Amino acid sequence: MYYLIILMVYTAVDAIACLGLSQQFGVAGVTNFGFIIFQAAGAYVAAILALPNDAANGGFQTYVGGLHLPFPLPWIGAAVAGGLLALPFTLLVGRRLRGDFAAIGLLVTAVLLNLLVMNYRPLFNGDAGVSLVPTPLQCGMFVGAQVSYQYGFAIGGLVLAALVYLFVRRLTQSPYGRTLRAMRDNDKVADSLGKNLLALRTGALVTGGAIAGLSGAILVSFIGVWSPAAWSYAETIVLFTAVIIGGAGNHVGAVLGAVLVPVGFEEITRFISNSNPSLPPNLLPSLQWVAIGLLIAIFLWARPQGVLPERRRVNAPPPAARQPGDGMARLAVRRPAGPGAEILAAIDLRKDFGGLHAVDGVSLSVTAGTLTGLIGPNGAGKSTLLSLLAGTDRASGGRISFRGQDITTLPAYRRARIGLVRTFQLASEYKRLTVMENLLSAVPVNRGDSFIGAMAGRWYWRDDEEHAIARATALIDSFGLTDKANEYAGDLSGGQRRLVEIMRALMTAPDMLLLDEPMAGVHPELAGRIGEALRELCRQGMTILMVEHELAIMDKFCDPVIVMADGQVLAQGTMAELRDRSEVVEAYLVG
Amino acid sequence: MAAVGFGLITSAVLAIAAVGFTLQFAVTDVLNLAFAAVMTAGAFIAYTVNQAGASIWVAVIAGMAASSLISVALNYVVYSPFQRRGSAPITLVIVSLGMALIVEFTIAAIVGGIGVSYTMSQGSTIKVGGMVLTTVQLIIIAISVIVMAGVYALLRYTRLGKAMRATAANRMLARNCGIRATRVIAITWALTGALCGLAGTVFAIDVGSFDPSSTDIFLVLILAAVFLGGPGNAYGAMLGALVIGVTTEVSAAYIQPDYKYVVAFVILLAMLAVRPAGLLGAKA
Amino acid sequence: MLDAPGQTASALTKHRWIRAVGMAAAVALTAALAACSGNSSASPAASSALTFADVAPFSGPDAALGPTYLVACAGAAHAINKAGGILGHKVVCTAADTRGEPADAVPAVGNLFATAKDLELVIGCTSDEAASVVPVINSHHTVMFCMTGQSEFDHVHFPYFYRLVPPDLAESYAMTVIAQNLHYKKIALAFGNDIGSQTFVQPAMAAMAKAGLKVVANETLDLNATTFRTEAEKVVAAHPDAIMTEALGSADPTLFSEIKQLNGGKLIPIIGTSAAISPAFYTACVLSVGAGDFTKNFHADNLVTSTSGPAYDAFTKALLAIRDTVRGSQTGDFSPYFTAPGAVHLYDGMNLAALAMVAAKSTDVAKWQPWIAKIGDGVPGAVVVDSFAAGVAALKAGEMIRYVGPGGSTSFDAFHDSPGIFQIDTYNTKGLVEVAGNITAAQLRAVEP
Repeated sequence: MYYLIILMVYTAVDAIACLGLSQQFGVAGVTNFGFIIFQAAGAYVAAILALPNDAANGGFQTYVGGLHLPFPLPWIGAAVAGGLLALPFTLLVGRRLRGDFAAIGLLVTAVLLNLLVMNYRPLFNGDAGVSLVPTPLQCGMFVGAQVSYQYGFAIGGLVLAALVYLFVRRLTQSPYGRTLRAMRDNDKVADSLGKNLLALRTGALVTGGAIAGLSGAILVSFIGVWSPAAWSYAETIVLFTAVIIGGAGNHVGAVLGAVLVPVGFEEITRFISNSNPSLPPNLLPSLQWVAIGLLIAIFLWARPQGVLPERRRVNAPPPAARQPGDGMARLAVRRPAGPGAEILAAIDLRKDFGGLHAVDGVSLSVTAGTLTGLIGPNGAGKSTLLSLLAGTDRASGGRISFRGQDITTLPAYRRARIGLVRTFQLASEYKRLTVMENLLSAVPVNRGDSFIGAMAGRWYWRDDEEHAIARATALIDSFGLTDKANEYAGDLSGGQRRLVEIMRALMTAPDMLLLDEPMAGVHPELAGRIGEALRELCRQGMTILMVEHELAIMDKFCDPVIVMADGQVLAQGTMAELRDRSEVVEAYLVG
Repeated sequence: MAAVGFGLITSAVLAIAAVGFTLQFAVTDVLNLAFAAVMTAGAFIAYTVNQAGASIWVAVIAGMAASSLISVALNYVVYSPFQRRGSAPITLVIVSLGMALIVEFTIAAIVGGIGVSYTMSQGSTIKVGGMVLTTVQLIIIAISVIVMAGVYALLRYTRLGKAMRATAANRMLARNCGIRATRVIAITWALTGALCGLAGTVFAIDVGSFDPSSTDIFLVLILAAVFLGGPGNAYGAMLGALVIGVTTEVSAAYIQPDYKYVVAFVILLAMLAVRPAGLLGAKA
Repeated sequence: MLDAPGQTASALTKHRWIRAVGMAAAVALTAALAACSGNSSASPAASSALTFADVAPFSGPDAALGPTYLVACAGAAHAINKAGGILGHKVVCTAADTRGEPADAVPAVGNLFATAKDLELVIGCTSDEAASVVPVINSHHTVMFCMTGQSEFDHVHFPYFYRLVPPDLAESYAMTVIAQNLHYKKIALAFGNDIGSQTFVQPAMAAMAKAGLKVVANETLDLNATTFRTEAEKVVAAHPDAIMTEALGSADPTLFSEIKQLNGGKLIPIIGTSAAISPAFYTACVLSVGAGDFTKNFHADNLVTSTSGPAYDAFTKALLAIRDTVRGSQTGDFSPYFTAPGAVHLYDGMNLAALAMVAAKSTDVAKWQPWIAKIGDGVPGAVVVDSFAAGVAALKAGEMIRYVGPGGSTSFDAFHDSPGIFQIDTYNTKGLVEVAGNITAAQLRAVEP
């Protein structure tokens, strides 16, 4: 039955495309509204590599290429083309461009490329497109081949879809996949914890692009024709609907979405008879699009996680690792600096927002091994200063040095990698990762945390992972969150989330920690325990700079304490000393 | 030189649309991709009124009212609830795409795919310094200029305008100053919705023959103008519209005319990649 | 990821299992859907109906085409059934919406073959989808009469493909001949950027070079755009004697009005293609530039089709008979269907196929296919018939027949294209088509590069 073969092939093609999109959008959080152009690029490249020279068949088409290469070269070329095409787009998605702006840029690119290909005939034969594309291992088009070949092709397509599924699943289940999901949940935080966002997003675009290119190759080999009409930007919307309905981030969900929407929905409507001439002819196709729009809105409202939501990943530690004792002790500080040495210095730091001088010429020096406090009234610029030191924001003027190295222009993720890590004032846990995953993602070195490492498979990164889990478990136990270890961090209470954040920062084994109001919303007793833990860390050689409002905490744990007001450092010393200084008292009363 | 004249018309229509779009974004933080579809709705309501015998200018008012209503409804029923829930901006964009589909294809289902035109005369042709324009085109340019002046006056001198600017800059802070953000937002949608309807009807008048899918490409031109000038900045949108309108027409005169939109899109992409804040910087 | 030990194996297995089940379910469901309806068997049961299918866009930019062809189908089917059907079988029409692009057209046709009972003939297949569906229909050994002028089908042999409309190449030459006849020396080209129009430009330029005419401007119109003032300005600035154009939809009417505006109120003479011979086009142009101006300045090439005479009368009678079943055309008026492009040609194609089946006394395509050419081209001594009813009567009387319908006489070449003879059409101020002259084969050959 020819129709059956069509359905099988389209299921395979759409499943592969949706898996690619799910990887980009559901796992890595890159919204690629131009997704269809990668499929189109793959289709065109596969076509021109497989077609003979364009003088063939009477020369009725003009196109570049025409190399008449044997299978599997055209299909490999298609995947490569899809991946390469992704590279220029890193200009859009790599930088700190708002996700929705970048998405629009990709949508515009899809329209732009469609126009270009349509109008520039010598490239791919313009609006008529390329036709008579030979199918793999045959001389002519797919339709001319034997039935046994056709079934073989269809089954081969499904097998390829299964392989793509295994590929993306391997990628997602690895530490690299976890990093992608962390970036998706909160890219600013991932950046501050040492993840190179540009590289990660490029990787996601290239992977998704190559997968899309492969799907295009299969499709063009089957149809034998490819033209601009087949890849308008509306096709991307259909794929997005499929992934959203099926479940973004769940690869089985992506396949399910492919079966439901591009295949199921589109094909079922064909059975509704068009042969009734008394119906307005445009009615059914228009209603179809209305239905897609409704599906998008309804699902995003009522069930944004899709029919098959992303699975919660449970990490139980290997039994041998469970030891009583203080998890803190396992956090050997990486490179203890000599006590008394200066570890961090800021010289005349400035940050301007329009006309507002949030940080107005701050110079300070932090000594290694100290638990330094940073206080001041609201609007003094404490959080901004922390952002400058950590690299989250770029300074408008001044210099910063860390362990003698000038880091003023160093991006945040690099600072994290050399040992300078921060936490955030507002809740910034990775909501859709479990507590354990939050911690695991912060580990600075894990063999599985790269594309190659992920592809190598579990045997490659198992040891690093188990080691990390052991560390994380100890930390979780010592902070008393054992029973929440495998819950989504977003489901925890405010104080618990605060703890997750601190633990996560500790997992990076930093040399210096910048804490932004770590005790906010935390029970006083727990706050006390945290303070003790922090002091213990400092004794082991870590340096901590902590912004806090609670003067009692400052009293108990911090020495020295820096006071800020109006963007400038007012004074520095122990709390006792500061209480005697009139300008400090005044700043607090007035500010 | 004639191309510059044509560019002015395109800019005039584009400016009305771009200002409406960018103000929606500025005050409510929603990139409303359904904007072009709502323009079409206004154009078709105007068509219905026009076919019932009313003059075209009365029909324009009807179109503005219709688009205004639809926009307010969109915000109340769809965008606001999602925002109250704390949805990410990208979710709002995807939802707005869904809304665009619903609006455009509901119109298509009712009207069919064929093109219609308003019943009106284009007036005589006038040559002005090398540019060739009809009376109606001059009226359109005049309307556009009046609207720009009106928007400027609104933002700068009226209380509502100041409230809009404040809400755009910092919603929480504005609320703390006693500005009722929800009310400002609702009024903004009503006003920008009217602008949307005006843009739609004027677009349809300019084009002559239009159908439900006529504004599809126009949306991308609006985005180009908005991002060129700086998203959220009303004056940036005006500047962007001028640049995009004139550049596309002038480039059509010198290179193949079927590439004229390519020029606009490349400008948009270049701005996004190099200077996302646009020519005129941060939000107005 | 490390699952708890017991979970690992079963979690992985579970997902492979879900996926396998999902795939199997999808395949099984579609197999069921695909199998549930008719499988065309060799000979239909005595009283069952034969299906003629309209494969064309019903949605998307060319959404007007599918419904138009369906009306022609319904009309032809009605006339055939009224004359007793084909060997006692009634004819029913069905449709498959290709949505105007290859990736949707192939499943549409696949669905058609899976669900249609006793499918004997396909009509339609426009340039939007022909390249992808013709091979499929051909592989199903189904005769098709297609509307595409693409030059692919001048060179590539699909045995079941038949075409009664002129190839784009030939139309370009015909337009050149018109320019010659009207003594135009300087020509401006203004063609749209879609499939149907892009293929005219190169052949037209080559033909004009051979004919000694000068191309002073060549503007490609983006059919997505809504104004073309700059293009119009360039055309006017080149001072052509005439403009050759095809830019369907609202593009041409908009262009003409802008040219008129920029040319000081004077419209430049226009040479259009056969696609311009349609009431919708006429109405749109009259709205934009006025009836007097338009009719004075417009010529188009067209295949010789009659607009009067017994064949045409039979055609209009057939369409009128089904008028009440059809939702009105764009303007609520039925008359556009009489002169819609393709209507007469597809009607003729259906009659040819029907008569071939009657003459072969069989619905087995292997038996009746050769009769198409015999009845279309005719054999010496054949009786000329102008409708299905007349043809059946003549066959019953033992005569050989040649069918010449309102689309004119056919002459199939090796690729089953019937190039046809061209005439020069104009409109009068009432919107009716008038023949202003003829184009001989010799004239066409003279400009062929």
